[in-house]
Amino acid sequence: MRLGLGPVDLSGATSQKLETLATQAVASSFDAVWVAESRADGVGGGLAAAALLGQVVPIRVGAVVEAGLYHPLFLAEDIAIADLTSEGRLEVVLRLGTSASSRYETSPDQSLLKEHLHVLGAALSGAHIQWQGKHLRVPAQIDANQPVPSRLALNPRPLQPVVPIWIETSETWLQELAQKMGFGIAQLWKPGGRVPPSTGRWPGMVLCQADVAADDLLRAAGDEAGYFLVAAQTAHEVASAGRRLAGPLRMPDFPEWINA
Amino acid sequence: MTLRLGVGVFGMQSVPQRPDHHVKLYRDVLEDAQLIESLGFDSIWLSEHHFWFDGYCPADIAVAGAILGRTKRLGVGTAVMLLPMHSVQKVADDAATISRLGEGRLTLGVALGYRDPEFDGFGVRRKDRGKLMDTMLPRLAESCRQAEPPVPIYVGVATAIAAQRAARLGLPLFADSTMNVSELREMLDAYNASAAAAGVKPPATHALQRDVFVTNDRERDWAMLLPELRYMRRQYGGWSFPKEAGETVPAYLQRLEIDIEAKLKNLIIGDAALVAAQLREFEALGFDLIVCRSQFGNLPRESLHRAFEGLAATREAISR
Repeated sequence: MRLGLGPVDLSGATSQKLETLATQAVASSFDAVWVAESRADGVGGGLAAAALLGQVVPIRVGAVVEAGLYHPLFLAEDIAIADLTSEGRLEVVLRLGTSASSRYETSPDQSLLKEHLHVLGAALSGAHIQWQGKHLRVPAQIDANQPVPSRLALNPRPLQPVVPIWIETSETWLQELAQKMGFGIAQLWKPGGRVPPSTGRWPGMVLCQADVAADDLLRAAGDEAGYFLVAAQTAHEVASAGRRLAGPLRMPDFPEWINA
Repeated sequence: MTLRLGVGVFGMQSVPQRPDHHVKLYRDVLEDAQLIESLGFDSIWLSEHHFWFDGYCPADIAVAGAILGRTKRLGVGTAVMLLPMHSVQKVADDAATISRLGEGRLTLGVALGYRDPEFDGFGVRRKDRGKLMDTMLPRLAESCRQAEPPVPIYVGVATAIAAQRAARLGLPLFADSTMNVSELREMLDAYNASAAAAGVKPPATHALQRDVFVTNDRERDWAMLLPELRYMRRQYGGWSFPKEAGETVPAYLQRLEIDIEAKLKNLIIGDAALVAAQLREFEALGFDLIVCRSQFGNLPRESLHRAFEGLAATREAISR
């Protein structure tokens, strides 16, 4: 089991708040600290904020980012640089088809999102890319731009051989696509719900409220591993969640007297 | 007017004459940022290119985030972001958030870009870059004005036409390192004339990038720098005017070499007093921020840090 703090909403967040929460997450034995952008409200920079956090804490850093709004190669480049500056500690959750689409003058069309995910995955894999789809051509090979290469590659690449990426979704087609492409699946917590199935090496992820109970999370995981992000908002909530969850999630039969 | 010095320009390149893994290059730039801050400089500046064999940094705002997390006071600027390739909405949203987290320490320098394979990678016609800049720059400027704190924007320019575009919006210039004093003067005249014609009050000051290397041993450091400068100029020159169809490789390299020789003359190299005197000439033209490029590719750490310390002494000499 893994325990992450967040995602901390970047809307209105200050560096002081981020630093306070992140430092407390380390002190409370969280495995990672996460931030989330909300581009419908003009709040971007999730990966740059994760890169910032990577300099503040020694644990893993995560960014919940909105994909499908701009060219996926920019997203791949941001991921590579945030992973390099954090020396291989980056994790990512992708949100697709959000209400930011109109601000970005794009449509949350299923086929477009699929193409974006394919190009993102190919770029991060280190492949020399050549993609010709309905929405994207990479490289575009536009006549006016000649001479240009027929393939391109992301350079530099992330430090991690494979950056852990989850797709937050409850839609079947996206879950199937995530399975196929080696992305993990993340879902919002529902009382009585189950942890999403693991994909490849990535456990299913659940985004929970701050007051979630360890027993409920263990029940949701069953025999599988789970990655639980806990949206604590204050240093006190972080400390409380860490004390309540870190031990029981790591070891079965965690003795209650330790935290008594 | 107080002349501010920024330090750059960092591309985190694994150059053929001194290759490194990129994780080391990014670790180095974060350490360099701390050193630059401790030496009292105004800002550190990052450069952007895409899909290049030496892994030139493609995502400046992500690096800026890391530097802002590592430092407490130092400003971070892009020198320059190649705006027409980007989503202007993404740039605006990323910049606003990182400016807030960095408590106003982020500055955006933006320019056209010129390398066909970069535009093509993102599905943009290079020929459209001017039109794209015309539509994107006002949107970005407005978003950056409304950000809290606002994000300062400079417009990277090497020609009068580009300067006139910035003038119509009242945005300050970020002049290219290859322009000499008379070219800069002509460009500023064109800028001011365009601003007046558009009824825009121009900013009082502008920024400038220069290749600067402060040293007390010119002979030693010139020998060290020459291969690095040749690599850098050959790379940029090759991007500016690629090999023509039918042109032989020797003929192409000879054409490049003429450009390289011309551009190398713009390097300011010498001791702190000499460099200070030359930088004051630019201050007199109306530049209050000079981004001194002392990192060329991936210089030996010791030489680079000696140059930063020399630049700090230059700043002291200017302020006296």
